[in-house]
Amino acid sequence: MTTPREHGPVLLIVDDEPRILSALRRTLRREGFEIFAAESAREALRILDEQPVHLILSDHKMPGMTGMQLLAQAAQRWPAAARILITGWTESIPEQEIRAVGLRAIISKPWDDAELKEILRTAAKELP
Amino acid sequence: MDEGARIARIVIARTAEAAAEPGALVRALERLGRGASIDVVRDAAACLDRCSVGRVDVVIAEEALGRDCRVILEHLRLVGPPVIVVQARRDDAAALQWYRRGAAECVAGEAASGEGLGAVVAEQLARLRALHAAEATEQSLRGLEHAHQSIIQSLNAALLVVDRDGSITFCNPPAEQILGEAAQALHGRPARNWFRMAAGDRTLLDRSLAGGERFKGAEAIIVRRDGVRVPVGISCAPIAGAQGRPSGAVAIFQDLSEVTQLRSHVLQTEKMASIGQLAAGVAHEINNPMGFIHANLFQMSEYVADLRGAWTRVETLRKAAAQGDLEAIRAASEELSAAIEEADVSYVLSDLAKAIRESQEGSERIRHIVQDLRDFSHQDTGERVLADVNQCLDSTASIVWPMMKHLVVLEKHYGDLPEIPCYPMQLKQVFMNLLVNAFQAIEEKVGDSGEIGTVTLTTQPRRDGVLVVVHDTGVGIAPEHLDRIFDPFFTTKRVGAGTGLGLSTSYHIVQRHGGSLTVESTAGEGASFQLFLPLLSESFGAADALT
Repeated sequence: MTTPREHGPVLLIVDDEPRILSALRRTLRREGFEIFAAESAREALRILDEQPVHLILSDHKMPGMTGMQLLAQAAQRWPAAARILITGWTESIPEQEIRAVGLRAIISKPWDDAELKEILRTAAKELP
Repeated sequence: MDEGARIARIVIARTAEAAAEPGALVRALERLGRGASIDVVRDAAACLDRCSVGRVDVVIAEEALGRDCRVILEHLRLVGPPVIVVQARRDDAAALQWYRRGAAECVAGEAASGEGLGAVVAEQLARLRALHAAEATEQSLRGLEHAHQSIIQSLNAALLVVDRDGSITFCNPPAEQILGEAAQALHGRPARNWFRMAAGDRTLLDRSLAGGERFKGAEAIIVRRDGVRVPVGISCAPIAGAQGRPSGAVAIFQDLSEVTQLRSHVLQTEKMASIGQLAAGVAHEINNPMGFIHANLFQMSEYVADLRGAWTRVETLRKAAAQGDLEAIRAASEELSAAIEEADVSYVLSDLAKAIRESQEGSERIRHIVQDLRDFSHQDTGERVLADVNQCLDSTASIVWPMMKHLVVLEKHYGDLPEIPCYPMQLKQVFMNLLVNAFQAIEEKVGDSGEIGTVTLTTQPRRDGVLVVVHDTGVGIAPEHLDRIFDPFFTTKRVGAGTGLGLSTSYHIVQRHGGSLTVESTAGEGASFQLFLPLLSESFGAADALT
């Protein structure tokens, strides 16, 4: 395991909407994360396979595999990575699923920049 | 009562010395098949008394009574039973007088004997019977007419009769009420003035007149002279005339205002239920661009702050250059370089341009969604209009698409379609129901497996209309459900996911368009809904025209 502080913690952002990824990169530009972006859950899994990731920020509704499915897998295979869901879907995700996946936070879209940064900062600080 | 079977009541007014005995008369009548009861009186007072107390069929008065005979005739002439005057001897001049006084018959000699008198009485009775029968017939005819009149007048439905030219010849009170005018104002005027049809279309009544067509349960709109529109359910048929040509037509119709309101209420309820589902999809679709535009705006304002910091250094440098202070110029220039590096100006400039471009694209997407919503929700005017079915289908698909796009590939094969007369909003509601069903069928099949289903929209022109097929690769419909899926409140969806009215409402809408909605499905492999909409406006509103 590499030490996270050398290049800053690695953040993986996942959304099927490339403009969202672009905006997230922009927002988090000065936050000191090393950012990887994936346009699908499968791409995210590939990145997770290839290198250490400290935080995962994923959209929920995506074709093929949902954010919750991705984060559930991550919880199994990379339990150390903090898992955060960001979603525009108003339908609530069952409480027990949230607990099973061990979500650190759910952020609703459109997100509040300050709130998003705060959640990521805290999560980064509390990394194992 | 049968006149023939009844015993004839006869009053004989005669002097004590009269020749003919009642017994002979009774026997004579019996031989003629008539029973008789005979009352013998001696004067006019007693005779008239009998007549006033009970029914008397025939009075036989002897001329020999003299003045009393005249009194009897006088009193019975107009209102009483026929009076037969019996002369002791035949006297034609006197007989003429008796006839003038109102005698029904005047007999003498042989004819006045028991036998002869019997025949005369029988004849009177027969004449009486015929008269009674005629009266009874007339009375029952009058009764029948009265009954018809009161049936027609109190009929809960409006009744309208037109002649071969289509002019109103009869209407009952409900018809007056619906047409908004009194019968006198309606008689003789063309009925077609009140029936609103699309330009070029003939009214159902005119079609009955011209082609002998019959309609049952068709719908039409009546427009009163004051502009009030009344939707009516109408049945009409030609009235057969000579040489098979209709001599007129009759229409029965009913005010459907309340039914129409109720129906639009149900349609509205169903629409709201579907729109609830759609709203979530549309909200998400707007949310994404909103999300990144929002974030970009924040970042762009930070970029502007960074650039302003660099620009302040540019101003300082410009002032130093104007003063020609080389030392100051050098210092300012270094500061500027440091600021440019600190702010990463070249990156900021290029990313600012990119952020603007992406945000523009996002706002364009939102504009598009709103446009779709507007196209979709454009309210019908309540009249059918010529519309492009492809456009109706496509604008509905745009609205439903966000909800399904994470699970569905949407394929469109639109043919070149003629415009058809329709209620576009209602058609969109049908398409929406079919699309939402297709999506839910796929959702149910693929679940969280990560697989993706396909919804295929196909439109094709047909000789007499337009065919729309919505096919999905979802769970399909169980064979035992196929017969029931168009029934109201039939649903296989989980509680809350469907009202059970979607397909029955759709079916009803398609029927209103004179079209058909059918389904084919293999359980587990998907379903295909075929919707046919007729091109001819004539089949509209007369979906179940009888031929």
